[in-house]
Amino acid sequence: MSAKQFEAFLARLYVDAGSRARFRSNPLAEAKNAGLSNAESKALENIDWVGLEMASQSFANKRELRRPRSRFSSLTDRLLRVISFLSDRVRRHSGRRGLE
Amino acid sequence: MAGVAAAGAETMNAIYDTVGIGWRPELAAGILDHHARIDLVEVIADDFFGEPRRVRALKTLSAQVPIALHGVIERMAHLVESISPLFWSEHLAFVRADGIEIGHLAAPPRSDATVDGAAENLLRASRIVGVKPFMENIATLIEPPGSALDEASWISKILSASDCDLLLDLHNVFANGLNHGYDPKEFLRQIPAGRIRAIHIAGGKLISAPDGTQRVLDDHLHDVPDPVFDLLEEAAALSLNPLSVILERDGSYPSMESLLAEVSQARQALARGRTRRVERVEVPG
Repeated sequence: MSAKQFEAFLARLYVDAGSRARFRSNPLAEAKNAGLSNAESKALENIDWVGLEMASQSFANKRELRRPRSRFSSLTDRLLRVISFLSDRVRRHSGRRGLE
Repeated sequence: MAGVAAAGAETMNAIYDTVGIGWRPELAAGILDHHARIDLVEVIADDFFGEPRRVRALKTLSAQVPIALHGVIERMAHLVESISPLFWSEHLAFVRADGIEIGHLAAPPRSDATVDGAAENLLRASRIVGVKPFMENIATLIEPPGSALDEASWISKILSASDCDLLLDLHNVFANGLNHGYDPKEFLRQIPAGRIRAIHIAGGKLISAPDGTQRVLDDHLHDVPDPVFDLLEEAAALSLNPLSVILERDGSYPSMESLLAEVSQARQALARGRTRRVERVEVPG
């Protein structure tokens, strides 16, 4: 197996919770199903499980941040900001009047 | 320009280090207002691809402050030609494989196979762009699965095989040291000091692991911690090269004065390291 195929296997683990769950329940079988050699499959037996979950979560957060937002949602965001700004102004104004 | 000449090194060949800030749109006004206090600016190249107006603005900026380019290889050649940067750089990482987008930088297995693969890619990239990149070490929350080499040996082998120099990210060294249990200063002694040409400094935060331990997330949203300045001093003590140091900040922006104070701390750390190096040369043993 080439380094590229090994990286593809890792990429699947990082982005797909199902792949991770299958790998966790039977690492050797999942690695061999993906075409990894015996040596490569063995090397994955000592994987840093805690790190795998943390890295996968961190990558998911990054993907979410980069997800293109629709024109509608960006318009909605702007409207919400305007509404929040105006309601702030109204609240402050009424507060001032209350003090007077 | 406020480049740092090694204190006490006047009798030797002085080393002129430079310290600057990573360009972000949110910091643009502050950087332009204070460009006299910044030696260089590092620009994320991806933000300028296919944006001729932005490239023209970048050219104007490059007339005021030296620029370094950081980012992906595709379309880098054109930008390098337009801007004539001090250097361009890339990460020792992969972000996608077999059509799967990971979303961020992932560490490849540290093996002889990936050393060869990286060297081939770097040769191709250097041919396309016309200049070799500086390669940057990345931070990782997971010890890269399938690795046969430690990080220092893997990086050293790639630099040697590709004849590329290193953009040493010191917060990444700090984070990996804590996350994977090695001494960051020992790591600096293991990599070829002669290859260190540029340095990134940044801040991250501790996050809790499911097993109750903590790891460092390199999010660039926090101030540079003191251990990173200590590592900067160490790198300056080890390296003979003039170093370009970039402060990276990607959000939760503090005031420009706070960022400039960190730039100043970086200059002081460099000066301390240079002084130590001179002392070591003058008093062997």
